[in-house]
Amino acid sequence: MITVTTKDSSKNSTTKNGTDTGGGDVRLSGISKTYGSFTAVQPLDLTVPQGSFFALLGASGCGKTTTLRMIAGLEEPSSGTVSLGEQDVTNLPPYRRPVNTVFQSYALFPHLDIFENVAFGLRRRGIKSVKKQVGDMLDLVQLGEQARKKPHQLSGGQQQRVAVARALINSPKVLLLDEPLGALDLKLRRQMQLELKRIQTEVGITFVHVTHDQEEAMTMADTVAVMNAGRVEQLGSPADLYENPRSTFVANFLGTSNLIEAEVDTRNGDEIVLRAGGGKLVLPVARCSAPTTTGGKVLVGVRPEKISLTHADEAGEIPAGRNRITGTIADSSFIGVSTQYVIDSPVCPEFEVYAQNIDRDARLVPGAEVVLHWNPAHTFGLDAAQSLLAGTVDSAGVETVGPDEGAAA
Amino acid sequence: MSTVTDAPPLAPAPAPKERPPRKRRRLTPYWLLLPGILWLLVFFALPMVYQASTSVQTGSLEDGYQVTWHFATYWDAVADYWPQFLRSIVYAGAATVLCLVLGYPLAYLIAFRAGRWRNLILVLVIAPFFTSFLIRTLAWKTILADSGPVVGALNSLHVLDVTSWLGITAGDRVLATPLAVICGLTYNFLPFMILPLYTSLERIDGRLHEAAGDLYARPFTTFRKVTFPLSMPGVVSGTLLTFIPASGDYVNADLLGSTDTRMVGNVIQTQFLRILDYPTAAALSFVLMAGILAVVTLYIRKSGTEDLV
Repeated sequence: MITVTTKDSSKNSTTKNGTDTGGGDVRLSGISKTYGSFTAVQPLDLTVPQGSFFALLGASGCGKTTTLRMIAGLEEPSSGTVSLGEQDVTNLPPYRRPVNTVFQSYALFPHLDIFENVAFGLRRRGIKSVKKQVGDMLDLVQLGEQARKKPHQLSGGQQQRVAVARALINSPKVLLLDEPLGALDLKLRRQMQLELKRIQTEVGITFVHVTHDQEEAMTMADTVAVMNAGRVEQLGSPADLYENPRSTFVANFLGTSNLIEAEVDTRNGDEIVLRAGGGKLVLPVARCSAPTTTGGKVLVGVRPEKISLTHADEAGEIPAGRNRITGTIADSSFIGVSTQYVIDSPVCPEFEVYAQNIDRDARLVPGAEVVLHWNPAHTFGLDAAQSLLAGTVDSAGVETVGPDEGAAA
Repeated sequence: MSTVTDAPPLAPAPAPKERPPRKRRRLTPYWLLLPGILWLLVFFALPMVYQASTSVQTGSLEDGYQVTWHFATYWDAVADYWPQFLRSIVYAGAATVLCLVLGYPLAYLIAFRAGRWRNLILVLVIAPFFTSFLIRTLAWKTILADSGPVVGALNSLHVLDVTSWLGITAGDRVLATPLAVICGLTYNFLPFMILPLYTSLERIDGRLHEAAGDLYARPFTTFRKVTFPLSMPGVVSGTLLTFIPASGDYVNADLLGSTDTRMVGNVIQTQFLRILDYPTAAALSFVLMAGILAVVTLYIRKSGTEDLV
């Protein structure tokens, strides 16, 4: 899995700016979609603040695209309402909604050239002189030279930009992006992520972006809603989701988490002391989303990059007050900037640790006895009633969560 | 198989190995073409040459025919039979337009709305082919019979007054009028219109409709600006597949028409099989072919299909 670096918290402020006006928010109230006996989207309440870059993140089949299509009007909700600002658009056909979509496969009109593709929306609204506007828009996406080419003559990245231009030129209240970068190769995808972010900042339109790529969601969005099995598991800024996951699905789907089953021992002010395999771990109360009755089970989580590795011979030098676990190095792989270790520990068979390659300890090789230790403030607590593997690569998208698990949304 | 590719071969080794298959590959297209070429040669090119020579021969059945480069046969054929030529073009044209008007909605329905009924409807479209062309056309004689329910209904609805005024029916009859011939042509060639239309409509990505709707196009505008332009290849091949055989057809005019509705196909048939004037029959065939080629070329130029993907 890809390592995710913690984002700075400056993104939170951009979200807040839009919230105050509330005039162009996208509001979904109790919206759901069922196909026969299959429920694609569970009743869902969601507000996308005006001007924000909002990502719906989840594995395929989690209902994120269906949610997007209900906003666009391409799918009729089975229940609930969709509002744009003050206007209830639930029963409006797509051609009456001030919303435009960038489709997954772009859906450019093959019989029209780039200019006419981009001008399509303007012409349908009866605007006669489109030349200047289309020219400006093509310049914004750096395709001014290609105006008279047909879509099939352009590369994937260029087609993608045409699709964005064709939607943006209508100055929609909301721009919907359905996996817009899915068909591009990795390098181009990176480039387009920045490009889309730049355009969004420039035009200030609300973007709702559907993706299964957690890194893409984190790079671009102000707010991410993680979806699983038709419901929103958790919603928040990328940094918040990463640091404080409230379900095992989020903990595993966004980056990697080490999860340890532990038993509540005592509660000590705003800290909980837990027992795990003979050792004691400390968890801040504020970072625990599970009920903590003495003797109850809690899943303790910690991100791999928060952990320090010390050889067992020097265990005495570890400062007091840190959570510690002992184990044996099972595997290590050198990545360049960091080394990734897999530790075999009595409390967790495959504990992952990412260590920056600052001063490499030559003794840390497979087979070595080590002590893992971390600042208790980096520990988070999850309800033990859920699957440890939810949201991991093997189970992504198919894991259904228990009803009492308190999907935080 | 895998053993060859697994080991990294030495640089010069694969070069001689590759050469023979490459040569064979270059010849493959020609081998594939061969049966078709032979077929065309024997059953199209040779008869064409034979007919071309027939068309410039003179003589009589008793004395035999000789090639005398008598091109006047062409001029006489056109001068004598231009009304039949004109009728062929008009009837075939009318039938083609009717086929398009009737076939397009059905093809659209099959392609976009039929769901699980799609294959069944497609089978129904070609189902008439399981009966002989002749029998199907004869059936229309019964359908359009003077005392039949169709003519009765058309009469009481005063439709026949309108068609009489247009000159395509006469009095209370439909049989033995141009309308009957056009109906027969339309009926017989409808599947040739529907199938290519369906094929080109079916290829249209449904997301283009969604995209058009998303970009403020109402359903009808979506049809006008996206669906119809993208179905043009089907429209062109459908109209050609209908118009070309319809303009050479003689069975419908023979069974459903009268002496006043004779098409050029009927003339050719009579010249070949009854009057036995082979040069005139051959000349008429070539004029018909040239006429169709001219019309088709003009049509393709006009519709500009080469611009489509």
